[in-house]
Amino acid sequence: MRVELAELFAVIMFFISFYGLIVTRNIIKSVIFIIIMEAAAIMFFLSIGYRSGILAPIGPNLAEVESWAYIADPFPQALMITAIVIGLSVTTILLIMTITITREYKTTDWDTIKIRSLEK
Amino acid sequence: MLTNFVIIPILVAVFLYLFPLNKSARFLALLAQLGLTAAAFWLFLETRQGEIFLSIGSYHSVLGIYLRADLLSAMFIFLTAIFFLVATIYSFHEDFGRLFWFLMFIWQAALIGIFLAADLFNIFVLMEVSAVIVAVLIMYNRLKRSMYDGIIYFAVNIILMQFYLFGLGYIYRLTGTVDMYLMSERIHAYHYNYLMLPYAAIMTFIALKCALVPLFAWLPKAHGSAAAPPAVSAILSGLHIKSTIYLFIRFQDLFELVASTQFFLILGIITGVFGFVMAIAQTDIKLILAYHTISQVGLIFTALSIADATYLGGFTYSFVGGLYHIFNHALFKGGLFLSAGVLAAAYGTRNVYKIRGVFRAYPVIGAATAMAIFGIIGAPFFNGSISKYFMVSDADTLLNGVLIFMSLGTIVSFVKYSNILFGKPELPEDAPRKLPILQQTMVLLMGVLCFLSGIFGVQTIQFLFDITVYIDLWGYIEKTLIFFASLAVGVLIYKYYVKESAFLKRIKNVEMGFRTMVFSIGAFFTTILLVVGVFYQP
Amino acid sequence: MLYVVLGLWIFSALMILFEKKNVRVTLYLGIFGLLASIAFFLLGSPDVAMAEAAISTFTTIFFIVCLEKYYKFEGDFIEVEDTQAEKKPKSTFVIRYILPLLFTIFAAGLFIYFIPDNVVNPYLKELYLTRFMDEVGGYNPVTAIYLRYRVYDTLFEALMLVLAVVAVIHMSKFGEATIKDGLRSELETSNMSVFTIRLITPILLVFGIFLILNGHISAGGGFQGGLVIATFFIARYMIFNIYDLKVSRIAKIEEAVFIAIALLASVVVFLEFADFTHRPGYREIYLIIMNALIGAKVACGFMLLFYRFVAIERGARDES
Repeated sequence: MRVELAELFAVIMFFISFYGLIVTRNIIKSVIFIIIMEAAAIMFFLSIGYRSGILAPIGPNLAEVESWAYIADPFPQALMITAIVIGLSVTTILLIMTITITREYKTTDWDTIKIRSLEK
Repeated sequence: MLTNFVIIPILVAVFLYLFPLNKSARFLALLAQLGLTAAAFWLFLETRQGEIFLSIGSYHSVLGIYLRADLLSAMFIFLTAIFFLVATIYSFHEDFGRLFWFLMFIWQAALIGIFLAADLFNIFVLMEVSAVIVAVLIMYNRLKRSMYDGIIYFAVNIILMQFYLFGLGYIYRLTGTVDMYLMSERIHAYHYNYLMLPYAAIMTFIALKCALVPLFAWLPKAHGSAAAPPAVSAILSGLHIKSTIYLFIRFQDLFELVASTQFFLILGIITGVFGFVMAIAQTDIKLILAYHTISQVGLIFTALSIADATYLGGFTYSFVGGLYHIFNHALFKGGLFLSAGVLAAAYGTRNVYKIRGVFRAYPVIGAATAMAIFGIIGAPFFNGSISKYFMVSDADTLLNGVLIFMSLGTIVSFVKYSNILFGKPELPEDAPRKLPILQQTMVLLMGVLCFLSGIFGVQTIQFLFDITVYIDLWGYIEKTLIFFASLAVGVLIYKYYVKESAFLKRIKNVEMGFRTMVFSIGAFFTTILLVVGVFYQP
Repeated sequence: MLYVVLGLWIFSALMILFEKKNVRVTLYLGIFGLLASIAFFLLGSPDVAMAEAAISTFTTIFFIVCLEKYYKFEGDFIEVEDTQAEKKPKSTFVIRYILPLLFTIFAAGLFIYFIPDNVVNPYLKELYLTRFMDEVGGYNPVTAIYLRYRVYDTLFEALMLVLAVVAVIHMSKFGEATIKDGLRSELETSNMSVFTIRLITPILLVFGIFLILNGHISAGGGFQGGLVIATFFIARYMIFNIYDLKVSRIAKIEEAVFIAIALLASVVVFLEFADFTHRPGYREIYLIIMNALIGAKVACGFMLLFYRFVAIERGARDES
């Protein structure tokens, strides 16, 4: 099994946030763990094809480079800019939902909200 | 050409939002919907001559984003157009404000985009867009309860998106592309070891979006939300969930090497049984319908997975039955949700025991509801009977029994639901004497379509999927006899068990919290990874 | 170097996990974003690094400033009033923390065990690197992909930002009428921060414009530049407390710019009937205009979100 170390970090981060989502009862922390999860996915995408000494794929003499092995893959980068923007939109929406829900239920605890939501 | 199906609704949406047209906005919306329906019909006819491809943004097609319309996607686009047209006409008299039209049009664009997309990352983007729209729409009226429903729906969906991204990343690294069709050409060159993890991650995403057990908990909250306009609930249950079933069909083809149909067969059966048990326990009409959607999705998954069938791998009768049931379920569940919206507004309650005498108070709505119920329980001459007939044709004896049992559960839950039709109406003082004519027409239209697509079942299948099927008369009569037998059993069960069952009262309020849901996502993911990786090696 | 940063990155996430106070959690989130941004840079993607740095700053500001008034920073709010939850039997430490931990370790182990071999297929990478200069122009393949090859995705991404603004406006209860002055935190009124902000504000504007105009030949682009320009207007609000930009007007501008993006993309990319835009010279103009439009849109969107969160949500607190 050959695994790139940066990728492994991303996977570990993914599961740290997963654990956080299971154990935390605080909505704000849940939102933060969702942000962390998104960052882990982005890190994983960017680690595709990484090797030490890699260069950014930018510059006028890109076409004259002999081997592209040490140029980073531009495609995941373009995808991840999209993913970051989407992630930010998602974060703001989650945040405003958190604010309204806290205002309505007077708490940030998932379990208490669940109990109060069942009341008439 | 294909991009217009996506770009034009978006432009209309932003235009409607930008200019405060007030009352005239809905005329423009109606006009745009009519145009889109016509265009979708044209596309539907066009794809019978062959698939339509479009590469956006590149001379060299691989570099850009591919759109592709084949028969299946054209059918779904046609269904989308019809559904949104019906929803527009249904909401014509309501004053939801311009935000409503804005969201509806973008939702439509996102759904059509998903059906056209051949690019996995594009699907990710569109799924995110539709998740945001649904989250806003289900808390549209900003009731206290719906805030909780909305945040649960949204957060869980976003978490699953990250699973999807991980799966997509692994396939991209392996095949060097995110295009579905190029990928499926190349994926065969690799050992299945490479595909187990991405398959598990992507299928977890699919299972959550389709609300399979144990990832169902968001669905009743979202589909049964009290704050959503009725048209939104109808589209959610009738159409939105089908977009993921469509993706399931595609991904099962893509991951042919590792795809486990048996796993989804078992899961479909569990979901189907679980869904109707929960549906029987509910007393809220919208929640009955919502849990029933879970049950029907389980039924569709069962049918699509019988006899190892895939879409490209040649048709089996069961598979056609599953496909046709997707269409049928859209019709009758759409009709039921629309009528439930009308009734909940008129009676001022959503309790199934408090609504009485719909036939007398609102005969048109009552007739339409009755027709949709006949469709859903599979009464002879209605569309449900046709799709259920085809579903069981490849099933062995055991599976046949299971499907009859699931059908029985459906019957019991709708015997309970049909209580609202009879009796003496006890309307509140301010209930409307006459309902808006457009709403009545749309609800009736859905009911009549259930009947027509039953009578002309074979022709409709021929028309929609370009597949010629035959119905054996004696087999159909046998199924009819089974139906009447189970109807009798169902009424008896309802009378002597459901009405005063302590067990059902206990499970009625079973709820999963957010953290349990996240945990069940992980549990599902590990299960499918173990199934694919350890127990089920081809 | 990269692995050190990644190690710290994991460490910051663990800090978030074990921290109980909300204010510290948000600060750790800022550190987390910064480390992620450095790691992205070391992975060879300055564009993403820039976007991530800007975004994480914004997120942290949103969290700190708007949550400050709603949540008590001392501990999880749950400890303060938890009368309802007491009816349920208290779950023990083992059930609450250890079992999920064991499960997560099991799932992560399974995931890592099934990770396929690191076989990288450079098919698309090589195609893009060979062709982008001839087909799209510019020296930055990321911008080329983002604005030309995959502009269809970019359109939806821009739409997502419009949707976020619309959703936030819809969900927050308060209209424009309830804005009040004099509700600023210590952070904003401290002399030192105001001085610093005054010093860097003009540089921010110039930097943002530079990023937008040079997006096609160097790192950066419309999105990153737009974020920086939004920061300029936000800093203006923070120093002088100027609230002269009407939210509804910014929203209108944002949607109009979105329509312009959609139309430009349709004309040049989807329909391909403006053939001259594919010639050298013109195609760079397309990239610059597109970058500028996206920059304008992003700047408007973020100003709206900021005003909504910071000015209106916070200002309206007393009414509730």
